[in-house]
Amino acid sequence: MSSATPPPARPWSGRFPGFDVLDQSSHWDPVTTGVVLARTGMAPDIRFFTPHEQGIATALCDQLLGQHDEPTPVPKVPLVNLIDSRLAEQQTDGWHYDDMPADGQAWRDTLSALDADARQQFDSGFAACSSQQQASLIQAVQDRGTDDWHGLRAKRVWSLWTRYACTAFYSHPSAWSEIGFSGPAYPRGYKNAGVDKLEPFEVHDARPSEDPLRGRRGVQR
Amino acid sequence: MSNVRDRNESAWLLPADGKRVNHQLRQDMRRFDDIDEVDLLVVGCGAGGSTMLQRLARAGWKVVALDAGPFWDPAADWVSDEAGSHHLYWTEPRVISGSDPVPLGSNNSGRGVGGSMVHYAGYTPRFHPSDFETYTRDGVGADWPIDYPELKPYYEAMEEELPVAGEKWPWGDPHSYPYRPHPVGGNGEIFLRGADHLGLTAKVGPVAIVNGRFGNRAHCIYRGFCLQGCKVNAKASPLITHIPDALAHGAEVRANAMVTKIEIDERSGRATGVHYVRDGVPHFQRAAVVVIAGYSIETPRLLLNSACARFPDGLCNDFDQVGRYLMVQGAPQTAGRFDAEVRMYKAPPPEVSTEAFYETDPAKPYKRGFSIQTVSPLPITWAEHVAAQGHWGADLREYMSDYVHWSCLGALCEFLAQPDNRVTLSEQKDRHGLPVAHFSYSQCDNDAALMRAAQSVMEDILHAAGADEVITIDRFAHLVGGARMATDQEEGVVDAECRTFAVPNLYITDGSVLPTQGSANPALTIMAVAARAAERLISTSRRGN
Ligand SMILES: Cc1cc2nc3c(=O)[nH]c(=O)nc-3n(C[C@H](O)[C@H](O)[C@H](O)COP(=O)(O)OP(=O)(O)OC[C@H]3O[C@@H](n4cnc5c(N)ncnc54)[C@H](O)[C@@H]3O)c2cc1C
Ligand code: SF4
Repeated sequence: MSSATPPPARPWSGRFPGFDVLDQSSHWDPVTTGVVLARTGMAPDIRFFTPHEQGIATALCDQLLGQHDEPTPVPKVPLVNLIDSRLAEQQTDGWHYDDMPADGQAWRDTLSALDADARQQFDSGFAACSSQQQASLIQAVQDRGTDDWHGLRAKRVWSLWTRYACTAFYSHPSAWSEIGFSGPAYPRGYKNAGVDKLEPFEVHDARPSEDPLRGRRGVQR
Repeated sequence: MSNVRDRNESAWLLPADGKRVNHQLRQDMRRFDDIDEVDLLVVGCGAGGSTMLQRLARAGWKVVALDAGPFWDPAADWVSDEAGSHHLYWTEPRVISGSDPVPLGSNNSGRGVGGSMVHYAGYTPRFHPSDFETYTRDGVGADWPIDYPELKPYYEAMEEELPVAGEKWPWGDPHSYPYRPHPVGGNGEIFLRGADHLGLTAKVGPVAIVNGRFGNRAHCIYRGFCLQGCKVNAKASPLITHIPDALAHGAEVRANAMVTKIEIDERSGRATGVHYVRDGVPHFQRAAVVVIAGYSIETPRLLLNSACARFPDGLCNDFDQVGRYLMVQGAPQTAGRFDAEVRMYKAPPPEVSTEAFYETDPAKPYKRGFSIQTVSPLPITWAEHVAAQGHWGADLREYMSDYVHWSCLGALCEFLAQPDNRVTLSEQKDRHGLPVAHFSYSQCDNDAALMRAAQSVMEDILHAAGADEVITIDRFAHLVGGARMATDQEEGVVDAECRTFAVPNLYITDGSVLPTQGSANPALTIMAVAARAAERLISTSRRGN
């Protein structure tokens, strides 16, 4: 993408004006606070991925969560560092499909397959491809559905990538603020549950009827 | 029935000072030596195992329970956070296959003292009388060797011990609950509104969450993190409902002890104890009676890994029954979008259910049925739901920013027991060098028909409540079966008393013994079956015989 292109509209930002879940952190219990605030501090060092894999994974995950063109100074969620930590510590769900390797190896294999696709199609490694090229390569994997992709079932690869990337992204307080979620709730709890009811510290959606989905293809009415 | 406190003092043994653990009770816990022959040893401290332990300890037996996971302290070990709760799940390696492979880990498998109930949602419905004879009634599934009336007193006892809160229950065998229903949050409100518009009966409950005074258990604070472990001690799990009483009656709980093999004396054919690994060191604990309660994947795996000269194909597996007839429930989740803010995270996920579609409807092309409940996913689980629709990148972020407007219902469809849905041993080994479980699952046509029917009812409810859009994700929930109860050894692994057909002093008292599952969440039934087995064992045997 040329640097002259203006950043695209970000319809998901600003829906909960002034709401920052971290403003509530003094109400959280110390154990939870430790776990959550660790995510906002310095990102953990990369231990599992090689530098080459790290580059591919960063481009992939930033694309999956729409972070690739995040306008500075908004800090990105360090998706790959968070995923890397889980894989380094084997903090997986344990199970794997009989036709897929265990998660760590599956990440390595699929990153290298994605890179191979990029070289074949665009004569460049995935990380160095333009944003549109990266997006089209990713879309091609999703479009394969239950078909084979480099000897693996594409659907399972897709699920591996999105599972890890979504877990990393939506574990981050900045993502919670973006979607209006109030985060940890112990020991305070909630006193005003119910449709359209708010706690004193919660903020209403500023654009409640701007349903981002209305009229979308594939959405049932 | 006698006063709960006279039967089970657990809630009164918890501290009243805001701490969540009675550390003194754990410190003073009786400790047996490996060479002591205990009267009874339990493998696994979850729903079924803890019930067994508490009942036998009360009856004066020398009992010890070994669990592969930690002896949790809710205050220190659990967090009010989704991603930070990973350590609650059983995450040792496992392999899945079949035409509909079932993901394990966070979806259905817990570890540590309290078992999967530490991170279960908290719904505690009974099974219906029909569940015990689906074969006779409908020619599907299996008949149990016991019927509903035999289990009823144990349901009633357990509902008082957890204790359960909910409205008067009109389905199955109609009954009421010891505690009043909880107030509902946004998601429950939407479900009730939609059901009301359709003329469909939906009820608040039944949930094992304290509503009012019960010993030193604290009241629910409606914080929505039930699936991450209740830091409040409001939601029931054996860690707080049965283990304290067991300790007070001389039981030992040995945490972080992974059982690797049941030892069988080749001459007598009886179990003599178990091999286990703790802190990397192998041990052997002697026991007069052994009870396995490791749940539907680990129980069959342990039996298969305990093969010996007498049982070359796996313990209790002379008739190739071990690991078979394992069931999951089809659990599609349908969500609806409202301009109003539902904020479904503000209340326990388990709020409202309907069992109006539970029984076989002769007008329908399928047998058996489904139930519908509120589920209320937190952001990470919700992102999975959204990503499953195919959204990614900017689309996904935009969709996710709409979180507060969504309400989410989940169905539990009664998938039928099939012999080839089973656990076998994989080539792959775990860190102890033991073959890991391989779990294969495929749906039958009846299963698939129930998924579709449940989805369309959930869509109707949400539309009736005013949703303008609905989306569905297909999932699975719960595990039962894998070492089922039967009338004879060619059809199952244990008898009606949960005693294995093959080894007279070996019992199984966890979810794996259930021959059918209905469309009810299984924990209460697992506990009731274990309580019944305990009572039979106590009344029919002298200690250790
Ligand atoms: C996310 C989720 C939500 C759920 N929601 C509900 C619900 O709302 N209502 C409901 O009724 N049910 C629910 N369930 C299911 C319910 O929790 C289980 O059905 C029930 O706890 C199973 O009981 P069990 O005794 O068979 O096994 P568990 O409770 O799982 O206990 C087994 C124990 O054995 C231990 N173990 C296993 N193998 C070994 C070994 N070799 N050595 C030593 N220890 C071992 C494990 O560490 C574990 O602690 C839910 C489960 C999950 C995961
Ligand atoms: S909502 Fe209530 S029962 Fe659930 S975890 Fe919170 S306090 Fe416990």
